[in-house]
Amino acid sequence: MAGGARGSGKKKFFFRRRKVCRMCADKLDTVDYKDIRFLQQYLVERSKILPRRISGTCAKHQRVIQQAIKRARHLALLPYTSD
Amino acid sequence: MRKYELMFVADPRLSDEEVVGLSQDFQKMITDEGGIIAKEESWGKRKLAYPINKLTEGHYVLLHVQSEGGSPFGMARQRMQQSDNVLRYLTVRMDAGRLRERASRIPAIPDEGVAPEAVTQTDADSKEDS
Repeated sequence: MAGGARGSGKKKFFFRRRKVCRMCADKLDTVDYKDIRFLQQYLVERSKILPRRISGTCAKHQRVIQQAIKRARHLALLPYTSD
Repeated sequence: MRKYELMFVADPRLSDEEVVGLSQDFQKMITDEGGIIAKEESWGKRKLAYPINKLTEGHYVLLHVQSEGGSPFGMARQRMQQSDNVLRYLTVRMDAGRLRERASRIPAIPDEGVAPEAVTQTDADSKEDS
């Protein structure tokens, strides 16, 4: 349960690299729901959507990605869940 | 002029001709409502990410549609909803925006594992030493 292995070690001054939104970096503003290769990068093994705090995606692009993933799921291009 | 897309997944038990027929029916309904079919893309039979009605495959068809003034999908949507031959459908308006280029098109049958990339390796070792 509430373990503590959140990446922060015992050291007080833990250096954390700042994450950058990949879509911002690539100057993209839309995602095609058919582009499953791209969308798969935002899914964890169980096919859940990767949270922003992990991927570093900005709010705007997270919404875009989320929408595209959900569309792809509806068409069975991506799974809702997988084991 | 707005761009739309309609994608539907047809029953895998239909023959290719039946799928084409189905697609043409929808195309006619769309053009009757003022839409223009810009492009038709057939992905063929693809494995579904999860079973739908105990089926594991589906024929994927994608229509690129242009229309002036509103969605031209009213009739087609209604028909797709009722049809038992359509497992899933999606109609979307495509917003203009910078898209990632799909470097590799989605393969028609992706369930054959990783598509073997044509690795043409020139054998440097077997060069003739005269």
